[in-house]
Amino acid sequence: MRAAGTFVLLIASSIWCVLPSAAQKGEHEPPCMECHQPKDTTIDPVQFSHSVHAALDCGSCHVEGFNKFPHTSTRAGMPDCIDCHSGAVISPTIDFDKISQGVQASVHVKMVDPAFRCTNCHSPHYFIPASRMTDASAARSAANKSCLGCHAAGDTPAANDLALEELVEKHRLFPHWKLHIQENACIACHTPRGEQTVHLILPKSEALRDCAACHGKNSLLTTKLYTHLALKERTERGWANAMLFNNAYLTGAIRNRWLDWATLGLAALLVLGIAAHGVGRWLFAILRRRS
Amino acid sequence: MRRELGAYPLWLRLWHWSNAVLFVVLLITGLSMHYSRPAPSLGFRGDVLIHNAAGAVLTLFYCLFLYGNLRLGNGRYYHIVAGDIEPGLLLQTRYYLWGIFVGSPHPYPHSEQRKFNPLQKLFYLAVMYLLFPILTVTGWALLSPGRLPEAMFGVPGIGFWALAHTYIGYFLSLFMVIHVYLGTTGTTPGQLFRLMWFGETGRPEHLPTPRSPDSGDRPGNRDSVPVTTPEEHI
Repeated sequence: MRAAGTFVLLIASSIWCVLPSAAQKGEHEPPCMECHQPKDTTIDPVQFSHSVHAALDCGSCHVEGFNKFPHTSTRAGMPDCIDCHSGAVISPTIDFDKISQGVQASVHVKMVDPAFRCTNCHSPHYFIPASRMTDASAARSAANKSCLGCHAAGDTPAANDLALEELVEKHRLFPHWKLHIQENACIACHTPRGEQTVHLILPKSEALRDCAACHGKNSLLTTKLYTHLALKERTERGWANAMLFNNAYLTGAIRNRWLDWATLGLAALLVLGIAAHGVGRWLFAILRRRS
Repeated sequence: MRRELGAYPLWLRLWHWSNAVLFVVLLITGLSMHYSRPAPSLGFRGDVLIHNAAGAVLTLFYCLFLYGNLRLGNGRYYHIVAGDIEPGLLLQTRYYLWGIFVGSPHPYPHSEQRKFNPLQKLFYLAVMYLLFPILTVTGWALLSPGRLPEAMFGVPGIGFWALAHTYIGYFLSLFMVIHVYLGTTGTTPGQLFRLMWFGETGRPEHLPTPRSPDSGDRPGNRDSVPVTTPEEHI
C-alpha cells in the first residue's frame, strides 16, 4: 500500500514537471512551423534565422486569415513592407520613403505591374541587407539574384540557362562583356547615375552607358552601391576604391594616390632636371663664345 | 656637304618615327584611362579602342625591329663590347654632367660602326629587350582578362598585370622624355633629329680628338671601335 502511494506520487510529480515544459515549448515554437517544415514548404528555418527578419514571429506579417487551416487569406491580403518600414531611415542610402518613391517611379511599377511590391525582388524570409555583407562580390551576387529571378528565368533549368545566355548576349556593347556581366551589379547601370537609391530601375533605353562612371576615381560602384564597405576601405593605404580591388581590377577606379603622386613627382623632377641641364648648356655655350 | 650614315636605313627611320607616334598615342590614351579623364570626343570606350589598336600595331612594329636586328644587321649596335662598362659608363656620365657644359668632345661620337654610346646602349638594351616586351605581353594579356589567373603574388590577377603594364608604361614614358632631350646633344641641337629623319647629318660628322683611355673601347676613335659586324651576328 505504501509502495503504491509512492508510485502515484512519482507519476504525479512527473506530470507536474513535464506539463510546464510542454506548455513552454508551445509558447515559443510558432505553430506555423508544425506544418511549414523545410520539406513541406518553402521556408528554410536555417536561412530564415540569418535573415534581417529572423527576430519576428510569422504572425507579424502573416496577420489575419493565416491562423487557421486552411488559410482564409492570401499573400495579397498581407500588409506591405512599407507599412512597417515607412519613415525608417537606416542610413543616408537606406531611407525607406525614398526607396518607396524610387520603386513607384521605376519601370517595374510603370510598365510591368502597378502593384509591384518589395517582395517581388526581396525575399522577406531570407533577406540580408548589403550593409551586413563584408564582401562586395557577395553583395553583388545577392543583388543580381533578385534580377535574374525574373530576367533569366525559364520553366526548366535548361530554359534558365538559355534565358541567361540571351540576357548576357544583350550586353555585348561592353568590351570583355562576359566579365562585365559576371563582375558587375545590374543596378549599377540600370538605375539613374548619381542617385543614391538603387530602386529606381530605368527602362533599357535609359541604361547608363558611360564607362567612366565606374572606371573613375569616384566610381559609382563605391559611391552608390557598396557605400558601407567603401567608407571603411576607400582610404586604406591610399588605394581609391580599395574594396573593389579585393574582387576585380577596374582601370581608372583602382589606383593608389601615393603612387600617383610619386609618379607625378618623379616626372616633374625629371622635367626640372632636364630644364636645368638645358639652360646650363646654353649659358655655358654663351660663356665659351665670349671667352 | 651631306654625309650619309648607313646606320640609319629607311626601314629603321620609318620604324622609329612610327614607334614614336604610336607611343605618344598610347601614352595619351593610357593616361586618360588611368586618371579617367577621357577626352570628350573619345570617351573612355574610345580611349580603350584606340589604345588597343595602337598597342597591336606597336607589337607588329616591334616584330619589325626584331627582324631588323636579327636579319638586317641593326642588332650589332646593341652588343656590349669591351670598355662599354668600364670606362664607358663613367666617361659618358662624366660627359653629360660636366664635359657637355665646357665643350669637351663627345667621348663616343656617332659613326656607322657605333650608333650608341655605352650608357645609351645599356638603356636601350633594358628598354627594348626587357621593359618593352613586358609592356607588350602585359598589354596583350589584359585584352583577355577573363583568362588571367585569379591571383598572382597576393594581388588579384588582373590587378597584377594591369599595375605592371601601367608602371612599366610610365617608366618608358620617362625614358622617352630623356630620349628626346638627349636628341639635342649632337654637334648642334638639331643634328641628331636630322640624322634620324633624313638618315644623314647634313654636315660632316664632328670627330673630336680621342682621349685615349687605357683599354677597351676607345672613345672618339671610330676606326678602333671593336664592334661585331652584321656578318658575325647573322
